[in-house]
Amino acid sequence: MRRFCSLRNRHESAKEPACAQKWPRDGRLTPMPTNQDFAPKIQVFEPHRASLPPLIPYIKEFWKRRTFAIELARFNDKAEYLDSRLGKVWLVLNPLLLGLVYYLVVTIIRGGHKNNGLTTLDHLLIGLFTFYFAQNCITAGAQSITMGGRLILNQAFPRALLPFATAIQAFQQFIPTIPVYVFILVAGKYFYPATQVPGWTYNFLWIPFILVCVGLTGFGLALVFATLNVYFRDTNKLLSYITRIWMYLSPVLWLPETLHGAGRLLLYVNPLGPALTATSDVWISGKGPHGLIIFGCLFWAISSILVGGYFFISRERDFAIRI
Amino acid sequence: MRRRTDVNSDKKFLDVSHMSKSAAPMPEELAIRIEDLSISYKVSLEAKRTLKNAVMRASLRQQARTRSIDAIKRLTLDVPHGSVLGIVGSNGAGKSTLMRCIAGILSPTDGRVTVNGKISTLLALGVGFNPALSGRDNIILGGLASGLTKEEIESKTDEIAEFAALPDGFIDLPVRTYSSGMYGRLSFSVAVSMTPDILLLDEALSAGDAAFKEKSFERMRQLCAEARTILIVSHALATVTDLCDTAIWMHKGSMLSRGKPEEIVDQYLKFLNVGSLPSNYEDM
Repeated sequence: MRRFCSLRNRHESAKEPACAQKWPRDGRLTPMPTNQDFAPKIQVFEPHRASLPPLIPYIKEFWKRRTFAIELARFNDKAEYLDSRLGKVWLVLNPLLLGLVYYLVVTIIRGGHKNNGLTTLDHLLIGLFTFYFAQNCITAGAQSITMGGRLILNQAFPRALLPFATAIQAFQQFIPTIPVYVFILVAGKYFYPATQVPGWTYNFLWIPFILVCVGLTGFGLALVFATLNVYFRDTNKLLSYITRIWMYLSPVLWLPETLHGAGRLLLYVNPLGPALTATSDVWISGKGPHGLIIFGCLFWAISSILVGGYFFISRERDFAIRI
Repeated sequence: MRRRTDVNSDKKFLDVSHMSKSAAPMPEELAIRIEDLSISYKVSLEAKRTLKNAVMRASLRQQARTRSIDAIKRLTLDVPHGSVLGIVGSNGAGKSTLMRCIAGILSPTDGRVTVNGKISTLLALGVGFNPALSGRDNIILGGLASGLTKEEIESKTDEIAEFAALPDGFIDLPVRTYSSGMYGRLSFSVAVSMTPDILLLDEALSAGDAAFKEKSFERMRQLCAEARTILIVSHALATVTDLCDTAIWMHKGSMLSRGKPEEIVDQYLKFLNVGSLPSNYEDM
């Protein structure tokens, strides 16, 4: 039996507050000060009677720990492709190959080929890249809580940071597809002059706005599905079918202009409909999005965050029990 | 933080009314106050909780089969600043649930827990670690998961790696190539590199070999000497008798006794009816 010197009665001389910073430097491991602003000194834990915890402290804590989410996204991204020979090239290859397959289906097999060069392929690719950004936010975010069980059980932090990290990761994986798309656009114009290419226009400034809306919509929906996945573990399986049907209903494989009259309603009831329409407008025609489309983008981004945030935060205190 | 002085004594109280309207002021010398705490939860008896099963149940108008578990029953406990409290008890006694509630991970079903100070937890080894990443990357990830800033953890990465005493070059290898001892040493080093006011340890001192255990105890003594409040859950009773100045014995969610570690350990061993076997004192 190992015996160690007793520390009993040591605390009799330790009347000063425990938070006093007076670490000796003679130890082999020099302790570091923790982020002083991170957690309040006094915390009271009581049964939660309200459906939501106090939101201001929650949002403050979320913001202070954003670096954790950013680094988690970076490291997960790094880990995901460590053992892959092609590494992150797959991020571009996957939607690119899928785009080519859909291009074959839409143009050649269907026999609907028009003399517009690679315009259809360009529309397909930018639609797929953008849709995949949202889809990755949602599907990876939906699993983030159940996959992060050890973190949930052993650390106290705003749980929304985990789906947020997956949203950041999805964005980081989306970014390399943009230069690839631009290259295909320019090459398409060079080899097939009939290809529609937008010239330099200030309407490209809409792209960051559209991406923020897509990211927020994806993150908001990820919060909904992440919560559902805690209660029903087959949610993710269902989600794979939902996203596939959703893509067919979105203006990815077809042009938004093909809808007329009441049919255009389909664009607005689809959470990604307005954003994908705006994407096509800017990247293919060089046009700025219509006012109603901008409103649709904003509506879905804000409502997804509000509904998803409420659903997730009101239930996140049960996650440690349900995991 | 608002303070007030009791007119009848020199005791100072912390006004926590801004955190909870019903909470009474807490004496300033306390790090943790647990008042009438109960934690119960329902566990599903279904093999899988799926949407398919839920729809089937709903169509048959059946209720989900659940069982209620009372993990903590009306526990009241004060832990002064600078004390080292050992928690002993059999499996399922509610020790880890209590730690998680103090850390704010689990919500009370009834009662209240008031904590005065920043908390660091070491409830499981390698929390936040990604096995595919190197030890160095995992130090950053583990530190950020614990609430440190990136600058803080980066400035200490080499020191933490040195404390973990990994073999040459291992710090830059994927953690999945580590032995369980090396994994435990690295995660312990990350957890104790912080300066929490309150440190919650759940069986963490059993990480590593004999030399590392001695180093861990040395670090624990350093933390204790700095008047940190430490709560240790351990089945290694030597840890409790040697490091702690107070101990509690928990059984089926209730605190059966509180007192000097030797007395509590003796009572616990008598209850287990195993006597003072050396194995009871070893880190198992």
